[in-house]
This record gives sequence, C-alpha cells and structure tokens, in this order.
Amino acid sequence: MLRWLGTLVILGLLALTWVLPGTSLGRRGTEAAARMEAAGAGPFVGQPMPPLALRDLEGEAIPWETLQGHRVLITLERSVDW
Amino acid sequence: MAATYRILCGALGLGMLLGGLAFFASFFQFQMPNSPGLGEPLPVGVNGIYFVAFTGCCLVAWGGCLLGAARDARAAPWIGTWTAVALVLNAVYRLMVWLVGDYHALGNLPRAEAAVFLLLALALLWTRPAKSAV
Repeated sequence: MLRWLGTLVILGLLALTWVLPGTSLGRRGTEAAARMEAAGAGPFVGQPMPPLALRDLEGEAIPWETLQGHRVLITLERSVDW
Repeated sequence: MAATYRILCGALGLGMLLGGLAFFASFFQFQMPNSPGLGEPLPVGVNGIYFVAFTGCCLVAWGGCLLGAARDARAAPWIGTWTAVALVLNAVYRLMVWLVGDYHALGNLPRAEAAVFLLLALALLWTRPAKSAV
C-alpha cells in the first residue's frame, strides 16, 4: 500500500517536471524578450507614478497622497508570494 | 530484483560516501590561509562551509548505510525506502529552485536532477526485496 502511494507521489512529481515548462508558472522567456516587454510597460520618466498600496515596517498603510511632492526611494525585496 | 537493489544501494552509497568525505575535507581546505574555499563552484561563507561539513558527515553515514544494504539487504530493508524519501525531497526543492529566478543561471539542470532523483527513488522503491524474502 505504502509502496503504491509512494509510487503515485513520485509519478506525480515526475509528471510535474515534464509539464512545468509548459505552464504559465514555469514559462520563462529570454532576457531579450523580457526587456522588450518591459520597454513598453511604463510608466516612463516624467509621467506620474500610478498609485501603489504601500505598507510601512509595522504593517500600517501609507496613504499615497502623503508621498506626492516628496522624493521617494522604493526598494523591492525578492520573496516568494505564498 | 534484489541484485538490482544491491547495485543501486552500492552505487549510491559509494557516491555519497566519497561526496561526504569531500565536503568534510572542504571545511579544512576553507580554513587554510588565503584559501578560496570552495570558491566559484560553491560560493559559501564561514557559516555556509560549517553546514557543508555537517552535510558531509551526514552523507558519510548515509553512504555507509547504503553500502551496508548493498552487502546485505536483510540487515536493514528500510534503508532503500528512506533513501527514496530523501531523494523525493531533493527533487521537490529542485523543482522549486527551477522556478525561482535566483537560480536562473542553472538553466534546466535542477529540473533534470529532480527527474533523475525521482527515477532513482522509484527504482529503489520497486527493487527493494519484499518482506517475505528478507
């Protein structure tokens, strides 16, 4: 019974290794394609920044209007969105 | 089947034992003056090499157990099963690695490794001697 269960899990994962590149999750283009896509995405220099939902380190929401007129440095941290 | 199981255990065990000893030795190489440590292939720091050495010690034990199973599968029939479990876990995080952009430079290597580990796990699972034969 356990052997069959293990086999099912392994076969499922094997199938995942096979189909993953074809899914939206696993589809990865070339760097050149990503640059072309980013080039037309905007916003561009001189255009207003679209509103973002920002939170400070305590988790409190930062009203977008309070940032307008100020110099704002935005850093992006990598993470996995679970 | 039992012969295949013993060959699998022997080959895996020998690889793990040698790999484990290399990891263990790398810790001492890392401590040498002006040593680049593992350098380019494995860019680890002082804490990373600590865990590499620990991994090496674990691999020595794991490889030794597998070599024992290759000599006498009756001694510990569950070694193959638990090795298969560990191989599946290895495959799971490699699939994650393949998805995460930080490892993009590795290309399809993690995915290929995952497939190899899964096939090895499958082979261990199905060539393991049945309980009645042990």
